[in-house]
Amino acid sequence: MKTIVCIKYVPDTSEAEVKVNPDGKTVDDAKFSFDINDADNYAVEESVLVKEDKGGEVDVLSIGPKQSEVMIRMAMAKGCDRATRVEDDRIADHDPLMVAKVLAGALKDQEFDLIFTGCWAEDDGHMSTGVALAEYLGINHASMVKKVEVLDGKVKAHRELEGGLMEVVELELPAVLTIQTGINEPRYAPIRGIRQAQKKELNVVNLDDLGLDPSEVGSEASLVVLENLYIPEVESAAEFIEGEADEKAEKLASILVKGGLV
Amino acid sequence: MMMRGMIMTTESQTFTEKYDLLGCIQCGRCTGGCPVTVRADLNVRQFVDDAYDEEKLDELARLAEIWDCTACHTCAVRCPKGLKPLEVLIGLRSLIVESGKVEPTVRDALQSVLLEGNPWEKSRATRQDWMEGLDVRIAEPGEHVKNLFFVCCTNAYDPRVQVTAKNMIKILNKAGVDYAFLPEDESCCGSEVFTIGEEGLFEMIVEDNTEFLNEFSADRIVTLSPHCFTTYRTHFPDLKLPVIHYTQLLDELIEEGKLAWTGELPKKVVYHDPCYLGKQSGVFDEPRRILKSIPGVELLEFDRSRERSLCCEGGGGKMWVESESKKERLAETRIKDAKVLEADIVAAACPFCVLTLEDAMKGLGYEEEMRVAEIMELLGELIED
Repeated sequence: MKTIVCIKYVPDTSEAEVKVNPDGKTVDDAKFSFDINDADNYAVEESVLVKEDKGGEVDVLSIGPKQSEVMIRMAMAKGCDRATRVEDDRIADHDPLMVAKVLAGALKDQEFDLIFTGCWAEDDGHMSTGVALAEYLGINHASMVKKVEVLDGKVKAHRELEGGLMEVVELELPAVLTIQTGINEPRYAPIRGIRQAQKKELNVVNLDDLGLDPSEVGSEASLVVLENLYIPEVESAAEFIEGEADEKAEKLASILVKGGLV
Repeated sequence: MMMRGMIMTTESQTFTEKYDLLGCIQCGRCTGGCPVTVRADLNVRQFVDDAYDEEKLDELARLAEIWDCTACHTCAVRCPKGLKPLEVLIGLRSLIVESGKVEPTVRDALQSVLLEGNPWEKSRATRQDWMEGLDVRIAEPGEHVKNLFFVCCTNAYDPRVQVTAKNMIKILNKAGVDYAFLPEDESCCGSEVFTIGEEGLFEMIVEDNTEFLNEFSADRIVTLSPHCFTTYRTHFPDLKLPVIHYTQLLDELIEEGKLAWTGELPKKVVYHDPCYLGKQSGVFDEPRRILKSIPGVELLEFDRSRERSLCCEGGGGKMWVESESKKERLAETRIKDAKVLEADIVAAACPFCVLTLEDAMKGLGYEEEMRVAEIMELLGELIED
C-alpha cells in the first residue's frame, strides 16, 4: 500500500490579532505561530495508521517555505517515509486549482494507491485542493472522510454530511480522500523521533525540477484574482444583562418575546 | 564536551540502574507522605518495586495513575536513601511519550514548547506583549547587569498572572535596582517537559537555554516562577550564573531598606509554600519575611506548611492532565484549611499555585470572603507609581 499525504503549513490565527497589510491583499503574519494545517495533521495520522495496518509506505508532499520543514520532519517522526517539498514563488498559491495542478504534476510519474489531504485549510478555507487534485489525476475521490476502510483494490470511505448523517462510498483505488478532523487522534512526534527523521529523504524541488510550465500554474493561468482582504465591521454588539438572577431572567424573557424568538 | 544533567543516561543503562531501584529499601515513607494518595490510586513505593521487572515496564506505563503524580517531591524529601521515587513515574511516562500516544493536551503543550518556546500554544512573537506601555529594561549580551530576569511562560502569557511581572517592574524601577529582562528569545525552562517525561526535548532545552543564558553577563538570574528556579538549579549543570527566586531578591531589598510600602493591608494572610520553592529548594523564610514587612498583615500558618506543605497539584505536567479521580482536589482541601484559619488572603509565590488555588476558591464559592493572590500582586498595591 503506497499512500501520499499532502500537507500545508499555515498560520494559527486563533490567538493572534489579524491585521491586513496596507496592500489590502496580505495579512501581517509577524505575530503568528505557524504549524501543520489541523485537518492535514489528521490526514498524516490516518496515513500512518493505514501503513501500520496494511504495511507499505507513506510519502509526504507539501508546497511551502523552508520553515515548514519542521512540520514535515514531525510527520516523518510519526511514520511517514520520505517527503517532497515544492518551493516556487511563481505558483499562484491563492488559487486551489493551481495548487492542485502543482501537486498533480509532482505525482505524475509516481505509483500510489491512496492520497490523503486535509478536507480544508485553516488559512484560506477553500475546501477544494484535494478534490481538484483527484480531477487533475483523473482518479476517484471522496471528501470529508471520517472513517477509512482499506479493502482489496478498493477503499470504503465514510463521509460526514450535515446533521450527523454519514454516507458510505466505495471507491476503486487509486483514490483521493480529503480527511475530516476527528477521524483519529493524532500522535505526538517526540523529539528523538524528529531527530531520527532527519535521516529520511526530503527532496526540495521547484517547478523546473517538476517539469511544470510556470505559465500554467502562475497568476496568468489562474481565474481567481485576489482583490481585497478586510476585517468585517462589527454591526451589532452583545448586550450584557445586569441585575439579580430573577431580574436577569425577566429581562431576557422580555427580549426573546419582543424579538419573536419564543 | 557538555556535561548533561543527572537524568541523562547512556542507552545501555537499564531502567533499574537509571533510577537506582536497588537502592530502595521499600520502607514506604514515599507513599506514606505522598499527598496524592488521598485522592488517587497512586502508590509510588509499589511502582518502584514493580519496576525492577523490566518486562513489566510497558504494562506499568499504561496505568493511568502514573499521571496523577504532581512532582511535588514529598517522596524525595522523605526518602531515607536519598532516592527520587517520583522520577520512576517520570521514567514510565517517557515510555508513553516516546510512543507518541499521549493525551492531546499533553501533545499540544509539548509541541508548543518545541515550536514556540512555551507550553501555552502561544506565538513566540507575542511573548513580550505583556510589557507594552511599561518602562522595562531589556538585556543585551555583553552588557553587564546585576539582576537578569527570567519571566517564565505562564507569567508572560497568562493574563491572570502577568501582574506578577508587571508589578515586579514597578518595584524594581522604584527601588532603583540594576536589572534587565531577557529578550523575547527567552524559552521555556522545561520544568513541565521534564516531569511529563519528554526526555529528548528536555535535553534539547538544557543545551539551548544554557547556551542562550550563558551569553549574558549578570551577577545572577532572578526567576519569577519557582518552577524555573528549581529546574535551572537542579538540571542545568553548565549554567554559569547563579539562580535565585524573586522572593530572595525582595527579601534583600527589604533588609537593605530599599523598599517602603505605602499604605497598609490590615488582613489575615496565610502563606502557601509552593513545592518548587519550599520543599524542593529550601526557600521558606524569605516569602514570610516579605509578607510580615507589610504594615497591617497578620501572618497565619497552615498546619501543613514548609516541608510538609500540601501540594496544589499544579506541577508535574498536571496543568495539562486531568486526574481520573473525582475526589476533592488538593487545592480545595487547601482552601478549606485556609477558611478554617479565617484567612482573608491565601498568598503564594508561584503562578501555578495561584491558578489552581484560585480555581478551587471560586469552585467552593468563597469569592466574597477570600482572595488568592501572588505576593507580587499584594506588593504592587502597596507601592506608588
